Amino acid sequence: MKVLIRQTALEMRLFLRRRDDLFWTLAFPAFFIVLFGLIYGDTQWGPIRAIDYLLPGIIVMAVMISGIMNAATTFAEEREKGVYRRLSVTPLRKHIILGAQIISRYVIILVQTLLLLLIGILAFNISIVGNYAVFWLILTFGGLCFLAIGFSLTGLMRTAKSATPIAMIVFFFLMFLGRILFPVDVLPKALEYISNVLPATYLNDALRLIVIEGRSIGDVWLELAAIGGWMVVCLILAIRFFRWE
Amino acid sequence: MSVTVMVSDLVKRYGSLVAVNDVSFSIEKGEIFGLLGPNGAGKTTTVEMIEGLRKPDSGKIEVCGIDALKQHSKIKEVIGVQLQSTTLWDKVKVKEIVDLFGSYYQKSLPTDEILEQVAISDKQDSYVSTLSGGQKQRVALALALVNDPEVVFLDEPTTGLDPQARRNVWTIVEGLRERQKTIFLTTHYMEEAEQLCQRVGIIDHGKIIALDSPGNLISTANLESAVEVTCRSEDAEAIFTNIKGVDKVSKEGNRYILHTKESSSILRELTHLTDENKLQLEGMSVRQGTLEDVFLQLTGRKLRD
Repeated sequence: MKVLIRQTALEMRLFLRRRDDLFWTLAFPAFFIVLFGLIYGDTQWGPIRAIDYLLPGIIVMAVMISGIMNAATTFAEEREKGVYRRLSVTPLRKHIILGAQIISRYVIILVQTLLLLLIGILAFNISIVGNYAVFWLILTFGGLCFLAIGFSLTGLMRTAKSATPIAMIVFFFLMFLGRILFPVDVLPKALEYISNVLPATYLNDALRLIVIEGRSIGDVWLELAAIGGWMVVCLILAIRFFRWE
Repeated sequence: MSVTVMVSDLVKRYGSLVAVNDVSFSIEKGEIFGLLGPNGAGKTTTVEMIEGLRKPDSGKIEVCGIDALKQHSKIKEVIGVQLQSTTLWDKVKVKEIVDLFGSYYQKSLPTDEILEQVAISDKQDSYVSTLSGGQKQRVALALALVNDPEVVFLDEPTTGLDPQARRNVWTIVEGLRERQKTIFLTTHYMEEAEQLCQRVGIIDHGKIIALDSPGNLISTANLESAVEVTCRSEDAEAIFTNIKGVDKVSKEGNRYILHTKESSSILRELTHLTDENKLQLEGMSVRQGTLEDVFLQLTGRKLRD
């Protein structure tokens, strides 16, 4: 346990020292919400304002940047450099490494989301209609789920060079089919079935139900269970296909 | 003395290449054992199999009486490892990384003590990425020592370092020798093996072709040594050639090189000649055989070809 805490603390410190990571996880999504806010202003999409609809989507996008793009590719680069090879001849176990990575990145996701919420609330008059506790619960499920997805992909990332393309493919696949920036009805029927079971879709739907419609936890249990399912499966894959070098 | 590392009949193949071919040796407690050989001889493969980074195709490895192949995780607590190239996170500070590695082990030495030991205390707050090659190597040594290991593995600890940095590493290793640490070192520098190791295994094409103390390896190889001397006398060459035990005399100006296997009797004879005022000799020196020559004799090749 002590080792897990120290390893997590180190990961956090390393993150704060890397300017690239700070830009992509904090500045870039913030820039997105500001951009959309300025473009749409108070434009209505049917019964709701565009920016109200987009905020949960941008939060999901930011979570995916953290989990799939940033965490996984950084790990693959460090692995290729031989950092984990050196660790593999110490008593440190892979569960601790993965645990520290996921916990530290989860904290970053919380900070990132808080930043987006603050911008939305202060600059664009967005409000969370539903319960804040439920919102953070959903975000926790979503954050851990996408981190698990990211680390399960590191098993496929044979080299640091292949890490970014693999992360990009998955990221854009989920961006387009996960109903992040546009609603379901623009998708063809066949793609809709795929879209329906994606973790990004569940996370989006759950967040929108709470943020926009103000539903209760009883209305999002299905989404939470599905996200949890994705998380458990990907976590098992991440541990199973963990590679030290 | 008890055996700390025992390796027997170790074999590792990569396709049709036999990288390590039936290698056996043992290292006693408190001993510095070196594996000397050219690049690609199988040194790193051997050491990494003991460390658990590679799986042998066959053979047995015991470290501190523990079966290293079956109980790999138990070994990790008692060994200290310096890989051939150690890469760490760029943005980690020296003190942080030593602290962190210490926390991985059940038992570890205080960070200050370790930093002192490898003479890197003055850089403890620097990022690892800003250090020179020699300093990075000292950090790698620190990480190998942090758990006060029973046996330390150093894989080519001075490769790529400048002479000054190399000497610094040697000083650290000599300090470990004084503290009775068991060390397994690989190198392709014969000076390094001669300077640091009590026993040396010479490895070539995956096979250990000689194993003994550096002194014994050199003396049993019965190598040519050479006595060099300067002399202005006209008939010097004829006199030198007639000395018993001189195999060949070569001459560069006034400087003569007497090739021999019995340098000490030649020296006696030369002193005798001077005493009797038969020849005026200056600048006498003896060049002894080295491990490099041993390797050349065993394989017909130079160590660094």
